[in-house]
Amino acid sequence: MTTTSATPRLAVRHLTKRFGALIANDDVSLTIAPGELHCLLGENGAGKSTFSACLYGLLQPEAGEIEIDGVTAELTSPAKAIASGIGMVHQHFVLVPSFTVLENIVVGTGSGLRLDMTAARGRILDLSRQFGLEIAPDRLVADLSVGEKQWVEIVKALYLGARLLILDEPTAVLTPQESERLFAIIQQLKASGIAVILISHKMNEVMRSDRVSVLRKGRLVGTVTTKDVTRDDLTMMMVGRPVAQVHARSKPGAGETALSFTGVSLAKGGRTHLKNVTLDLAAGEIIGIAGVAGNGQDELLEAVAGLVRPDSGSIHLRGEDIGALSVHDIARRGVGYVPSDRFRDGLVSDFSIAENLILGQHWDERWRSGPFLDETATRRSAEQAIASYSVMASGPDMLCGRLSGGNAQKVILAREFAKARHLLLCNQPTRGVDIGVIEFVHGELLRKREEGCAILLVSEELEDIFALSDRIAVMFRGEILGIFPRHEADIARIGPLMAGHAHGAAA
Amino acid sequence: MIADLLETSIIISVLAATVRIATPILLAALGEMIAERSGVYNMGLEGTMLMGAFTAYIGAYYTGSLWLGVVIAMITGGLMSLIFAFMVITLKVEQIVTGLALNLLGSGLSIFWLRAAFANAGQTPTTPFFDTVPLPLLSDIPFLGPILFDQKILTYVAFLLVPATWYFLFRTRYGLELRCVGENPKALDIKGLNVAARQYAAVVFGGLMAGLGGAFLTVGSAARFVPEMTNGRGWLAIVIVIAGLWRPVPVLLATLVFSFLDALQLQIQGIGVAIPYQLLLAMPYVCAILALAIRRSHSGAPAMLGIPYWRR
Amino acid sequence: MIERLGYRIEPRSETTARGRTLAVGVALAASLVLCALLFLAVGVSPFAAFQSLAQGAFGTWRAATETLVKATPLIFTGLATAIAFRARLWNIGAEGQVFAGAMFAYWCQSALAGSSAWIQLPVIIIGAMVGGGLYAGLAAILKTRFRVDEVISTVMLNYIIVFALSLLLLKGPWSEAGGFFEQTAKVDPGSILPILFDKTRLHLGFLLALIAAAFVYLMIRKSPVGFEIRAAGSNLRALEVQGTNSRRVILMVMLISGALAGLAGMSEVYGVHYRLKAGAITSYGYTGIIVAILGLLNPWGVVIAAILFGALVNGATFMQIKTGVPSALIYAIEAILLLFYLAGWAASSFKLKRIKP
Repeated sequence: MTTTSATPRLAVRHLTKRFGALIANDDVSLTIAPGELHCLLGENGAGKSTFSACLYGLLQPEAGEIEIDGVTAELTSPAKAIASGIGMVHQHFVLVPSFTVLENIVVGTGSGLRLDMTAARGRILDLSRQFGLEIAPDRLVADLSVGEKQWVEIVKALYLGARLLILDEPTAVLTPQESERLFAIIQQLKASGIAVILISHKMNEVMRSDRVSVLRKGRLVGTVTTKDVTRDDLTMMMVGRPVAQVHARSKPGAGETALSFTGVSLAKGGRTHLKNVTLDLAAGEIIGIAGVAGNGQDELLEAVAGLVRPDSGSIHLRGEDIGALSVHDIARRGVGYVPSDRFRDGLVSDFSIAENLILGQHWDERWRSGPFLDETATRRSAEQAIASYSVMASGPDMLCGRLSGGNAQKVILAREFAKARHLLLCNQPTRGVDIGVIEFVHGELLRKREEGCAILLVSEELEDIFALSDRIAVMFRGEILGIFPRHEADIARIGPLMAGHAHGAAA
Repeated sequence: MIADLLETSIIISVLAATVRIATPILLAALGEMIAERSGVYNMGLEGTMLMGAFTAYIGAYYTGSLWLGVVIAMITGGLMSLIFAFMVITLKVEQIVTGLALNLLGSGLSIFWLRAAFANAGQTPTTPFFDTVPLPLLSDIPFLGPILFDQKILTYVAFLLVPATWYFLFRTRYGLELRCVGENPKALDIKGLNVAARQYAAVVFGGLMAGLGGAFLTVGSAARFVPEMTNGRGWLAIVIVIAGLWRPVPVLLATLVFSFLDALQLQIQGIGVAIPYQLLLAMPYVCAILALAIRRSHSGAPAMLGIPYWRR
Repeated sequence: MIERLGYRIEPRSETTARGRTLAVGVALAASLVLCALLFLAVGVSPFAAFQSLAQGAFGTWRAATETLVKATPLIFTGLATAIAFRARLWNIGAEGQVFAGAMFAYWCQSALAGSSAWIQLPVIIIGAMVGGGLYAGLAAILKTRFRVDEVISTVMLNYIIVFALSLLLLKGPWSEAGGFFEQTAKVDPGSILPILFDKTRLHLGFLLALIAAAFVYLMIRKSPVGFEIRAAGSNLRALEVQGTNSRRVILMVMLISGALAGLAGMSEVYGVHYRLKAGAITSYGYTGIIVAILGLLNPWGVVIAAILFGALVNGATFMQIKTGVPSALIYAIEAILLLFYLAGWAASSFKLKRIKP
């Protein structure tokens, strides 16, 4: 089961990939045996995605060679990778929502003019039976749950004949229960000799693999047998320095109520987004919302920010009903909003840092001199923000589209923290940023809390939620199924609620 | 006088005219539907049709063969759309801007060439034009016969294209792939299939059909070329694709509605009803806006329509 | 295809100014060559043709001022298009908005005929802006309230207003008494835009166009309104999330764009033709789109591109007389120029990369 079988399924030697001056993969070599679960561990930007894109023929390495089952493979296109037996499940699903499951799997395969759906259906049902993947071929993908979409993606790869399956962050969107299912499926795949590369940064998953390869800044730090190492060893290898675990914090303040939801419901496009949400948030308190993405968390924050209007119920900010106020008026009352998709909702990529920092406040007297914008004032404030948030940028005039994810997030935080005198709405503040920025964000959120700001935090990373929250609420299909003080909350109580199983919890 | 419109012979003539008038628009709209199914918005349809109309005319005039004129028009349409495809698929230039450039090119080139070719003639010469080909037996069916089965060959081609495109889109492997390109090109790309090649094919097919539709305007009916003679038909075809939800049969229905308005307008003018003709001529454009305003949502549109595909 | 030759087209991570200038320069040279081929095709020496084109455009003081006369409406429509495209609003309707501006100005002014120029001139200027703005505003409302794509609505509105003008002119309330053509009678002398230099036709409209360019420049670069326009062009959703009403922005951009286009119609009717007729105001809207793009959507770039195109139009008439090449050629040249320019600009953000040694 380890590395000693005769021919490895995959052997990569001295793979190097550059983007201009940046070296994304620097002389990476590793081997994977048939039936092995091999984990690729590394921070964001460590080169995991580049490595898998090279394996899948989406990128061409400058140097190095790849062997599959002992045969040198020229992986210049996905077609060649597929022909060599490599399959890949991408981090973001690559499915057509308006197609059926069957159509999604069949499209791009087969020969001749006519579609032969009967034979394809038979093979798909065989595959799903063999590996315990439950899929209904004739359902529309748009109607599937996140987990079901994941199974379709796996069947898609197997249907193309994959013997080496790359799973890129597959559990990022799954409930803990669905993750368990995934590992059961991986066991089946291994049993039939399929090698699996799991790209992940979640330690509890990494520890279930056979071997781990750790990447840092494009270099392979090392490949280790999992049972010989501890989590801390791996973290140390991944980050290159010890990570501070716990932030000191005061007791939750018994401040006055900053924000309260009373029976808030919202439906649009035939879907329930919020269902009778009632929740109070005190000044100086952080409530973390746990849940699988798409269960109403975005709408919960957007309703407070004024971007969507609830169908019923009311939202009060420091005692004032904000149901009829505009986005602008709500922000002026001291509310900051950090959206989850920072380049779509948070920043104007073609604008400079200075311009992005006044976005939404560009009519404000502070930034104007006469009818024109006061560039001196905006630049001065931008310089301050760059310094105090340690944004890695050439200056206030640097375009935000050129910033890395972490630095872009810092620009948004600088703007929204300045606005958030009383309430901060924070959606996925650590998504896609590396550990250094995560630590920074955690520290800043706790500092904001100490200042007496109320914080509503949404994150798919349970680690964020557990590290920061005073209370934890679990959302499922727009409903709050349970709310716990942090010391009473653990994965065993929260997991089932995230999947909608309300029993066993006093909601 | 309004009562005159209700006489059977008049109804037949209006409906037969509807089918005839529908021909060029239907050809262009079905081609555009295929192109848009691949995610590419060919806004250069007007100019492509115009060049089709012009080259069919000039081709038929110089070769003396109507069919050669038609072939030349299709080749021209194909070339125009190939330029478009290169610009928007390979170079990823904004589709709307490129389309406009193509429209201006069509309009400029056709006028220049017309003036250059017939500089000394007082009036541009006429060519012969296609006759109707009554289908045996079918054209004898009362009422329907003269409306549907006493038309020109290109008209039959246009109407047969409706089931043909339907079969292609929904029953063939390539149709499924094409729809996939318009919805999520990455899904095909990661299976190792060439997205750009499929888009090129779809756009060029659209160009061939627009060229053919344009040809119908000159060698199919008018027998001469007049500058700007497409007069917004290319744009109407684009509206029709939207109103027809990117599906062949609704596209046909939408085309017939617009053509019926046009046919009615001709008939009303013919009878001499005292409505200013400008109001009648403006009808299709007003209706186009109304049709889109009433529909509001763009359900049925390919998800990636108008968005160039970058492999990331 | 290209992969078989051992190359692959890849996007550049960064486009250098030099690369861009080079690519655009090559593209423009290629379009000149193509134009030369067109001249050869009609049997005229390209050299003689280009020479007569240049001579007709700038050969004399009068020719040069005439070039500026031709450039005037194009500056207005170019600015109108530039401002809309900056916000990524595809206003293709400058053509119709030129008509609307001219018609509304005429409607207001004809009621005041005989009064002082100090009344009539402001009325036609404001009238043109209101008319063009309202017609463009219609497309904005259709977009924000009824989700009608602005490309299609503005194109349809372009066709519709031609019929509306024809309705008013042909045996309509505006037709010239006893006249045979589709046009109004001559306008009141008090409403005519003053001539700037003696013995030329260069009129106040040109000065207004330069003022408009300066105004648009300051607005886009410095004002909060321009901030919103530029933000809308990059990421309208982020602007909305940050509390700016995107419907308001769309309406505002279209109103400004339409008002600028409307001025082109006024300037042609009251500065050049002295009567309202379709022929006086046709095609400036569409040409304005090319002018805007070649002018990099920058107000001063628009002025330069408009003068270049004014020169083309002006020179072409002379060229037709001298060489017999139909002046309609310039419409083809304009389109070819635009296509090559777009291709060159886009090509500079790609590179050919060898994938096989």
